[in-house]
Amino acid sequence: MTTHETYIAEKKACIECGTLIGLNCKFCGSCGKKQSIEDEKSFESKWTLIKQTGLFYVILISLCAASNFIPYFQTFGWLLFVEIALAIITVAFFAYNWADNKTVLVWRNFSFQKLCAYGAIAVISSVFVHYTVGWLNFTIYNKQEVYYTFLRGNIFGEFILIFFIAVMPALFEELGFRGYMLQTLLKVGDAEQSLYISAFLFAILHMSFISLFWLIPFAILQGLVRLKENTLWYGVMMHFFFNLTACLFMLS
Amino acid sequence: MENVIPAEAKADEFCYACASKVVNDDVYCTSCGYPLKGSEFDQRTFMARQQNVHIDMAEFNQKIRRAGNTLYYLAGLFVVFALVSFAVNKDNPNVLGIVIPLFILAALFLALGAYSRKKPLACLVSGLALYIIVQVLLAISNPINLASGIIWKILIIGYLINGIKSAIEIEKIKKENNIA
Repeated sequence: MTTHETYIAEKKACIECGTLIGLNCKFCGSCGKKQSIEDEKSFESKWTLIKQTGLFYVILISLCAASNFIPYFQTFGWLLFVEIALAIITVAFFAYNWADNKTVLVWRNFSFQKLCAYGAIAVISSVFVHYTVGWLNFTIYNKQEVYYTFLRGNIFGEFILIFFIAVMPALFEELGFRGYMLQTLLKVGDAEQSLYISAFLFAILHMSFISLFWLIPFAILQGLVRLKENTLWYGVMMHFFFNLTACLFMLS
Repeated sequence: MENVIPAEAKADEFCYACASKVVNDDVYCTSCGYPLKGSEFDQRTFMARQQNVHIDMAEFNQKIRRAGNTLYYLAGLFVVFALVSFAVNKDNPNVLGIVIPLFILAALFLALGAYSRKKPLACLVSGLALYIIVQVLLAISNPINLASGIIWKILIIGYLINGIKSAIEIEKIKKENNIA
């Protein structure tokens, strides 16, 4: 490369007047124009996005709180209703900003090794979480958690359990939090803060304060995988393997 | 003519507005946009605008601080709740199950308050979400809880929302004016 070419390569043209300026110049030295290509969104549009995310979250809180804590809703019929409602709401919010969100549904550069590695991480952490949570529950509450007792004895019970614990959450929690929420927050704040918000909101939605110690790191890991791989699907598979392992412990 | 400074005299000088090094033939500072060779009016206008930005930022920072203090207040409140419920349920074999979640809540609000200066948007949004979940759970356990201390609840939510708005504004200002 000649000296002249090197000189050119270290410069960029001003977006306004075309004068060559240093690569890290924030303003043009010749015309004073700010050198920022990205169009900063207005406060109103950012605030609208936050309110939209807030609405999504409040709906999720109401549904989850009702199905977890109000005995009236703890029947199979209501469980089915809540699951379907959650799925429809998540898809609706995701589809509302379809143009911006659809990119995360693409699975470019599919790698089987990566999938196995992420799956293995999920299974190992699920085993770790199973034993620590079991120990914590036993120590603090002096009891062992028993889930979905009404499914026991049902001939399809095990399949229904796997469907409700492994398949549905993996798909729709990922679509809702790492899909819709993270994607929307990225338009409001920087990547780091968006990642933390979506992870914390995901963790506290489970409404079990003891479980936060593993839910927050798990959600941050899922968010990091989503940001790094730029696709939702590795996260969905990780979530599926994680919950499936937990489910198999329950059935054994 | 006394206002015209010869270009040579500016070589290797520092910008009056942001103190970064300026190159001889730059008309504007390449890091803050200050009109190095502009008229006195241009330069004064630029400085006045910068000052306004800093006044705005101070105002937003104050709102963020207030929201952060609200999170500290909530942390304190849950510590008191935890201690009271420990005293009341001392003989209950399940006392840990009641007290530990309250301490976890207090610790969460404390951590969110402490980091609200560094990562205001993340901490304030998280704090508000946590507060709303706690209120929903309290309302489910006893609907009367929703009405008790309603003015305090409105104040807390108001401070947090104002903090979130300020956090959005301040990040926008920082980005627009290249303030790190």
